[in-house]
Amino acid sequence: MKKSFWMVVCGMLVIAITACPLFALDPIKVGIVDCYTGPPSTYTNDVRDAFQLACDKINAKGGILGRKIEFTTRDSKFKVDLGLSAAKELIMREKVNLLMGTINSAEALAISDLCKTEKIPLLVTFSKSDAITGEKGHRYVFSMNENTSMAGKAAAVGLSKKPYTKYWIGGDDYEYGHAIADGVWRNLKKLKPEVELLGQTWWKVGESDFTPYITAMLSAKPDAVIIATGGKNCVPFLKAAETTGFNKRVPFYMHTATELSTLQPLGLDAPEGVLGTSNYFFYYPETPENKEFVKDFQQAYGRPPKVGALYGYITAAFIAKAYEKAGTIDTEKFVDALEGMTVDSPVGKLTIRPYDHQVMFPMFMGVTQKAPGYDFLIASDIVTISGEDVMPTIEEIKKARGQ
Amino acid sequence: MLEFFSHIPVTSLLQQILVGLSRTTILFIVASGLSLVLGVLRIPNLAHGSFYMIGAFLTYSVAAFVGGKAGFWVALAAAPAGVALISLILERGLFCHLYDREHLMLLLFTFSFTLVFGDIVKIIWGSDFRSISTPALFQGSFSVFGLSLPRYNVFLLVIGPLVALGLWALTRKTRIGKIARAAAVDREMVGAVGINVSLVFSSVFVIGCFLAGLGGALVAPTQNITQGMDHSIIMEAFLIVIVGGLGNIWGALLGALIFGLTDAVGILLWPQFAIVFPYAVVVTILMIRPKGLLKSTW
Repeated sequence: MKKSFWMVVCGMLVIAITACPLFALDPIKVGIVDCYTGPPSTYTNDVRDAFQLACDKINAKGGILGRKIEFTTRDSKFKVDLGLSAAKELIMREKVNLLMGTINSAEALAISDLCKTEKIPLLVTFSKSDAITGEKGHRYVFSMNENTSMAGKAAAVGLSKKPYTKYWIGGDDYEYGHAIADGVWRNLKKLKPEVELLGQTWWKVGESDFTPYITAMLSAKPDAVIIATGGKNCVPFLKAAETTGFNKRVPFYMHTATELSTLQPLGLDAPEGVLGTSNYFFYYPETPENKEFVKDFQQAYGRPPKVGALYGYITAAFIAKAYEKAGTIDTEKFVDALEGMTVDSPVGKLTIRPYDHQVMFPMFMGVTQKAPGYDFLIASDIVTISGEDVMPTIEEIKKARGQ
Repeated sequence: MLEFFSHIPVTSLLQQILVGLSRTTILFIVASGLSLVLGVLRIPNLAHGSFYMIGAFLTYSVAAFVGGKAGFWVALAAAPAGVALISLILERGLFCHLYDREHLMLLLFTFSFTLVFGDIVKIIWGSDFRSISTPALFQGSFSVFGLSLPRYNVFLLVIGPLVALGLWALTRKTRIGKIARAAAVDREMVGAVGINVSLVFSSVFVIGCFLAGLGGALVAPTQNITQGMDHSIIMEAFLIVIVGGLGNIWGALLGALIFGLTDAVGILLWPQFAIVFPYAVVVTILMIRPKGLLKSTW
């Protein structure tokens, strides 16, 4: 009896030792709350998949501080209440070390608020509200993607060099649309005071047929139009732009117009010559780092990475490097380590600005164009606007926070 | 305000009206199908929007499968037929057992189908955005008298009246149409004179869903084929049907015209608040005529 008991114990010990030879310590747990239902999932799947890819790499090299990095996902279905309760559940029950997500700005802000009181780091991926690291910023929240004021500033820098003075603005009548439009216009007015706004058109978020909006905007005869539409609206907008000949009559700028998620579904039907800004292209910059990343991602998932993949990938890189630097899994030391941290990425070195916890992304401005070898349009004549140039100043952040 | 309007050239207004009319075509086709089912079968079919979405996705798949220039035209014929087939199976299998239930029950039942269809579409087609090319014949735009109209919208302007004419012939000239109209007024009486009501109901349901599929197929080249397109159309279609008078096909036409035109003209005249325009008009109409503009069959 006694002998067999020890046999069992020994057996179990052997299994335990052989099963996890590397990771004797508890894993680092990351909780991802994001929308994996409906149209937004075309963006969020890339974040998750690239994060998975990066985690696999980190774990294969022995993990972080001898710990494995693991993650669990929760589908928030683009709903703030679901996202918030999922975040609570991940913190209380799953005891995650940190949280990631979400594409919905309102949801990200709600979870950010929770993380502030719970003292859990939140690394925001994809939601583009500048309030996350601006007005509503705090010690535990970090933004791993560009935001509306960065996009606005980048667009303004690009547009100010063009000869246009009479503008029209058209956009989605909700937070993102207005934020982008305000960002572009405020900065453009500063850089080029003679610009004039002829008028504005606002449509509902789910709008699907843009033809009447385009014909109405064209009848005002502006020099150029700023289109503040995002997400799934980009595709039908470009489609209507092609059929109405918008791009041939009046030039227009649209943030994310050049992104793969916008241009790929349209194939060769997308309009040429549309100005757009983006954080990432799988074909640009043509550096060995980017080529390697694209190769790995393509191999793992059978598709080229979109911008979300960059966000997911660098988030993992920041997490790993910050824990290594902190030398412990203590949350406070992790946050301290992340502030001002720089990592290598497919688009070059990226740094988190210590003051507002915003990753300083360079922005690529280009125009849509057909290119040999691609069955969809790509961005060409790409101009890089550096991270320092697109960031809102610290004074602006202070002002937004009422300091 | 008036001074502001005088700045808008007549050609712009005319162009906007024509674009609005082409949009009306889609709204009318979808709403008339909904109205037909609502009038004859008394089913407030929330899943009507799902049939529209499936029509659009089927168009995408068939067009991609056939490929080339003929792709879209084959899809335009095949997709609504496919939708009609799905609706026939559904009607024979499920709906035909539920005609006597109360409206709330039917509402919940059809609502559950919007969710089921939503997930089926997600499983089959995934969450990526889909898009198909405008047929080669209708790419680009026409320019006449200083007006610039996308060719495809002109095509829609032709299709709209054709569908209306077809529906008129169906309801006025065919036996099944006449029976359907009678059934809409008094279902029991039609049964009492020895007509197979079940067959009529089944045909009407299939025709209604065919129209939803046709709307989806026609709209496919102009927009993003994606999940969620069912929700936006069903809301507009219901508004149109209610404004026009429940169950009245001409009411659907009138409602679609009002909705499509106020929308397009609103965008030109008052671009910052264009969203409100069609809905404000709908509210005003319902305040004056709560039962809709034309005679309701309910």
